[in-house]
Amino acid sequence: MSETADRPVSDLDAFSDAPAVTVGGSGGASPWRLAARRLRKRPGALAMGIVFLVLVAVMLAAPLYARHVADTTPYENHLSDQIEVGGETVNVVGFDGVPIGPTWRGKFLLGADSNGRDVAVRLLYGGRNSLLIGLSAALITTVLGLTTGLLAGYFRGWTDSVLSRIMDVLWAFPVILLGIALGTSLSLGGLKAGPVEVSGGSLAIPIFVIAVIYVPYLARPIRGEVLSLREKEFVEAARAQGMGPIRLIHSEILPNVISTGLVFFPLLVANAILLEAALSFLGAGVQPPEPSWGTMIDEGVERIVTAPALAIVPGAMIVLTVLSLNVFGEAVRDALDPRAKVRIEH
Amino acid sequence: MTRTLRNSVAARIAALILIVLGLGSVVVACGSDDSSDSGSSSGGESGGSITISQTSQPDFLDPALSYTVNGWEPMWLVYTPLLTYPHVEGTEGGELIPGLAENLPVVSNGGKTYKLQLRNGLKYSDGQPVVASDFAHTIKRVLNLESGGSFFYENIVGAEEYLKAGNPNGDIKGIKTDDDTGEITIDLVDADASFSNILAMNFAGLVPGDTPFKNMTEDPPPGVGPYVITKSVPNREFVMEKSPNFASFDIPDIPTGHVDMITTKIIKNANQQAQDVLANKLDYMQDPPPADLKPTVKEQAGDRYRETTTGSTYYFFMNTRVAPFDKAKVREAVNYGIDKPGLARIFAGELAPGCSFLPPGMPGYNEAFDTTDCPYGDPSQPPDLDKAKQLLKEAGEVGTKLTVWGNNDDPTDKVTEAYADMLNQMGFDATPKIVDGGVYFQTIGNQSTKAQTGFANWFQDFPHPLNFSFLVDGDSIQPTNNQNFGNVDNAELNETINQLTLEPELASVADQWEAWDEALVSPPNSYIAPYGHRKIATFTSDRIDFDAVVFHPLYLNDYSSFQLK
Repeated sequence: MSETADRPVSDLDAFSDAPAVTVGGSGGASPWRLAARRLRKRPGALAMGIVFLVLVAVMLAAPLYARHVADTTPYENHLSDQIEVGGETVNVVGFDGVPIGPTWRGKFLLGADSNGRDVAVRLLYGGRNSLLIGLSAALITTVLGLTTGLLAGYFRGWTDSVLSRIMDVLWAFPVILLGIALGTSLSLGGLKAGPVEVSGGSLAIPIFVIAVIYVPYLARPIRGEVLSLREKEFVEAARAQGMGPIRLIHSEILPNVISTGLVFFPLLVANAILLEAALSFLGAGVQPPEPSWGTMIDEGVERIVTAPALAIVPGAMIVLTVLSLNVFGEAVRDALDPRAKVRIEH
Repeated sequence: MTRTLRNSVAARIAALILIVLGLGSVVVACGSDDSSDSGSSSGGESGGSITISQTSQPDFLDPALSYTVNGWEPMWLVYTPLLTYPHVEGTEGGELIPGLAENLPVVSNGGKTYKLQLRNGLKYSDGQPVVASDFAHTIKRVLNLESGGSFFYENIVGAEEYLKAGNPNGDIKGIKTDDDTGEITIDLVDADASFSNILAMNFAGLVPGDTPFKNMTEDPPPGVGPYVITKSVPNREFVMEKSPNFASFDIPDIPTGHVDMITTKIIKNANQQAQDVLANKLDYMQDPPPADLKPTVKEQAGDRYRETTTGSTYYFFMNTRVAPFDKAKVREAVNYGIDKPGLARIFAGELAPGCSFLPPGMPGYNEAFDTTDCPYGDPSQPPDLDKAKQLLKEAGEVGTKLTVWGNNDDPTDKVTEAYADMLNQMGFDATPKIVDGGVYFQTIGNQSTKAQTGFANWFQDFPHPLNFSFLVDGDSIQPTNNQNFGNVDNAELNETINQLTLEPELASVADQWEAWDEALVSPPNSYIAPYGHRKIATFTSDRIDFDAVVFHPLYLNDYSSFQLK
């Protein structure tokens, strides 16, 4: 694998036929082991990685909290309910529409929203949705981006022309506007493609929208790497031995570009979570009654004076999640290829 | 007229930008520097100037076209129709009086011919005389400009032919006018007991005969009224000044106004408006203060803030052509299971829980039916969920999937989510479907959508039950743009509407309307699920004599009653 040792950087900002990111290494240790060694030297980043894992674990525990602590669901309205707080009976939602603030108890720990729903429960379920969308969208983007980049870069010619123009079209739209356009239209009518039918309120809609939007951001640098790799001696040697294109892509080229996908993945997750929050805030992402941090901020903004926690808490969760992913992702990038300058810009 | 507060994507984008810039809370806390001197004026009971605000530009500042509260509230004082309403509160404010006509119309020919006499000596605000043929021109503009109000006048003989001919200056056969005598005769295709109310609508506010057949928002035409629009800069401001000659006409029951000048500024941020009214930098805000600021407003300015119930009804439609709402028991169950006081909380208290389809102040409205005599229990009390569950079980519809339609206007989205949750508590498997407010009513009004149930509301255009009955009239069902969302089609109720349409004396048939309303809502029909009537806020600066402000049942806050202390 020494052919890949001196590859220059990959930079998403400057789309070009730039060669590839590498899993650099020497001295006998495998590239992955070297990367792990470098990663261990970044305790702060590792800590943020652990924070992210803790967040995932907490979100996964949402049903337990809802059932055994809060005794409600994320959808249940408690408009006319009353609860005991400090020995006093108080309305969950006041006659003037002001919801109860944090009680710091099991029920309505972080207060209620305007519909009398438990904010803490919705925060956890919203986090599950945000993480599910972020991780799923990033995974789909990675698969589609790698596939597109590999096919376009290896086959060149009309395959490259067609795929690159599609990428150009997607890239030409501002991310938010494309997200709103796709999200709004699909959430109204759902998605029907042959036997596949997805209802407008399904989480699959924002997952699909976000995944598609980010494909060019991965596909283009992958294509650049593949264009360079396909001319390398080891690829030519494999071709000369009669290896077919699909097998060649799979066994010779993919292993050399997979690290770029890995470098991108945490950043894609972070960006997907941010985009989901923005789209949901604008009504084009997660649809009611499903909670998400974006929809919770949207609801909370209207109560920023009387119930500031409604907007601040989900906002803080987004910041913590994205920050942890970005710091950890940066460290992963440095570990896999210290010279890479990977960025996702909108 | 459907009226809701919009929370559009654009507004959300603006809010998002504010959040990103970290300015969200700053905006809440700060007033505008621009408006710091906007409220200055001289004092006194009459005279002086005030500055008020609207959140969005009125749809039109042209009486032929405007069909929103934003437009009607100011233009009522600029364009007086032949008939109008007294500037007083309560039921009296909904009683027809002569406006530019000498008297109420003489109705003949089985309710199909209306004769009116124009007052003598009337002049528009620009000094040109008012003549009878101006009425015909006014109606032609409404029809020709494809106004939202044009269908009200399509019952005039020759109106359809006029529209088909496509000649703006052509004649409408059913309108005969005599400029010398001031006589106006209107012939209708079908008798319509509400036509006098239609003549009193803002659309029929007289404009000169040479007013162009185009939207005149940027240069509103002269009218006859206590005020004249002297400046209009769309999306920024418009100015109304006292009409120079209106007082000399001495038209009974139409006041001449107090303040000399009213400047209406368009300020997108409702928080800013509320802060400015609190700080006396603005004298009045047309939209209610945001729910978030209401506690502050009530605490700091409770003596200049009040809420008044309007002639409106908020209800859930249940599509009788689609399962499970083709079963009366299911509709009855829903009526039992709705938490009306809970929904009132979503409206921040700006909803009077109720059970009547006809709104307060409307002839035929029965206050007892709307409160204590409601067949589903007192609307101000918690719902009878057990009864709802039992009825649903009897109907065999437990677990039935429902799609609950609503739009993203505030607070309709929250109401829709709450309604879906209430249906789930009854035993359905309901999911809300929120669509953009701009396409909502067209979407659910399209039969191909097969909308099962969802949000609906109606504000009166005029105080006559016919303005509500068409929403549940089987004869009004259409394949598209249908406003009878539940496809209510009951032969008996339809027949009652048809009979009462012919009755010119509304007072004499008010009890029949009352019975019709009860039959519509009560078991075994239970066609719709009304849950309340919207309240509208009056919030003024300290400079305004708050006690003198008149809240009109139709045109809401009456600017001609605004006077400086």
